[in-house]
Amino acid sequence: MSVVEIESRVLEADAPQGLWSEAWRRLRRNPGAIVGFCLVAFFVTWAIFAPLIAPYGPREVVAPLTDAFEPPSREHWAGLDQQARDEFSRLVYGARYSIIIGIISVTVGLSIGLTLGGIAGYFGGVTDSVIMRCMDVMLAIPSLLLAIGIVAALGPGLFQIMIAVGIVNIPIFARLLRGSVLAQKENDFVLAARSVGVPRRQILSSHIVPNAVSPVIVQATLAMATAIVDVAALGFLGLGPPDPGTPEWGTMLSDVNRYFASGPHLAIVPGIAIVFTVLGFNLIGDGLREALDPKLRSR
Amino acid sequence: MLRFVVRRLLLLIPILIGLSILIFLYVRALPGSPAVALLGERATPETVAAINKEYGLDKPIYVQYWRYVKRTAEGDLGTSSHTRVPVREELRLRFPATVELAVGAMLFATIFGIPLGFVAAKKYGTWIDHTSLFVSLIGISIPIFFLAILLKYIFAVRLGWLPSVGRASVLIDLEHPTGFYILDAIITRNWAALKDCIEHLILPAIALGTIPLAIIARITRASVLDVQNEDYVRTARAKGVAPRTVDRRHVFRNALLPITTIVGLQVGLLLSGAVLTEKVFAWPGVGSWLVDAITYRDYAVLQGGILFLAIVFVLVNLIVDITYGVINPRIRLS
Repeated sequence: MSVVEIESRVLEADAPQGLWSEAWRRLRRNPGAIVGFCLVAFFVTWAIFAPLIAPYGPREVVAPLTDAFEPPSREHWAGLDQQARDEFSRLVYGARYSIIIGIISVTVGLSIGLTLGGIAGYFGGVTDSVIMRCMDVMLAIPSLLLAIGIVAALGPGLFQIMIAVGIVNIPIFARLLRGSVLAQKENDFVLAARSVGVPRRQILSSHIVPNAVSPVIVQATLAMATAIVDVAALGFLGLGPPDPGTPEWGTMLSDVNRYFASGPHLAIVPGIAIVFTVLGFNLIGDGLREALDPKLRSR
Repeated sequence: MLRFVVRRLLLLIPILIGLSILIFLYVRALPGSPAVALLGERATPETVAAINKEYGLDKPIYVQYWRYVKRTAEGDLGTSSHTRVPVREELRLRFPATVELAVGAMLFATIFGIPLGFVAAKKYGTWIDHTSLFVSLIGISIPIFFLAILLKYIFAVRLGWLPSVGRASVLIDLEHPTGFYILDAIITRNWAALKDCIEHLILPAIALGTIPLAIIARITRASVLDVQNEDYVRTARAKGVAPRTVDRRHVFRNALLPITTIVGLQVGLLLSGAVLTEKVFAWPGVGSWLVDAITYRDYAVLQGGILFLAIVFVLVNLIVDITYGVINPRIRLS
């Protein structure tokens, strides 16, 4: 075997794969990201198959009221709540609220934010200034306060919460995509591709978009984590779904101050569910950031 | 340098104008009108019209906005419709509470966060590094209110080591020349009150400081790792400078730049975002006051309070920006 042949094999083995397949390969090697995926998959399973997993209905009173606040037992894994409902069943159904509200609100923020950011970055000039100054104003108001304010204006309800948490995310995505687009437009490899006559569409699809989109994916995953916390926070403050019986995790924690003495498990169980879901999304986000970082590629 | 500061100050103007318009419109978009809120069920078309005339609500919207800007610029933020206390007066009482809590939280976050990140970077790749990364990730993932509830349950309710609500015990007799209780206690040499106020501050500060702690630890780690691979660090090592001196003079000093920025930005967030912690610990600050104002539809409080917090937030960020310019020679000299 000649040297050339050997080298060509080595080169083949190391040949750069597509951005996504390589990112996927590196993601799979990241133990943190795997744990994150498992956590998220676990709660998504809860959300999808809630009626099969939960032994009782989320609003079903399963014992006489005298048994309310019963601590966790073999029969009721997470104990009973203040109205003698099965806390575990409520927790399982609660996954639906947190995850669906999270997905929809991030989608709202993402789509509006990306459109605005894309327009600002692409057109530049006055359009850019106007859009970005508006985003600055939104960022000047603390995010939770902004969300609280929006819910207060729109009235309580699941839909309103999604809109509120979504709006809070708009400026973050707008800034991100604008920054990316601006950076990519002037990048050396884009100029190089242009100078050797690569068609514009191909420059866009193989150079600008993949590089501009990866920070957005990372941010979207991390935004899911924040959205779940924000939704729970709104619920905790009593701005959650109008029906207090809704098994939303934050709402389940809202009255807990009164129940410390009688049922401390009610303060701990929904909180742990929130922590693990959020941790899952954060781990995936961190893993994605490392996997998609162009500086770390081909290492 | 001066041009840089002036430019940053000028950028503030459109943000302030935008903020005032946004908040003005927002309060008018809230369901229910001030007249109906004031009159309740006694509202007839005539009385509503009278109230609207009295408050200038029958004027065109731009006249109303101008009046609002003029009054705000004069420092008149209106009067709470719920407590009948002027908003400015209430802010004067509550803002020190929020500042005290934010300072406490930030002390906790920096005292523990910076060493944690530094050690993690020095022990890069070892179990110490992994543990600190994992702990800081948990810190970021835990909702503030849940942590606050847990701390309150364990240390106040179960163990009874620390008080669970408020800024000071009812029985403590303390004069308030500044409104910052801990400072007041020191000025008046009231050591019993000082101990009491610090005890009240510990749990809320830990709850509020945990997320900044995690963020500071992560930034410190990343920044130390970056600096460690710089040429000047290698040169210093090659010259035979003692490892401790290299760490202190070359690594840590340079790594401090991004850390200072993140600490500053976090202070801005803490001053404005302590809503949940204040709620759990019944801390009489600005955040819990605003949440209550929403329940009572207290428009003056909302309008004044949100504007005030947003301005504080923007100003703190501006100061951070300028300080960054001052301590970073690359910006200072350009």
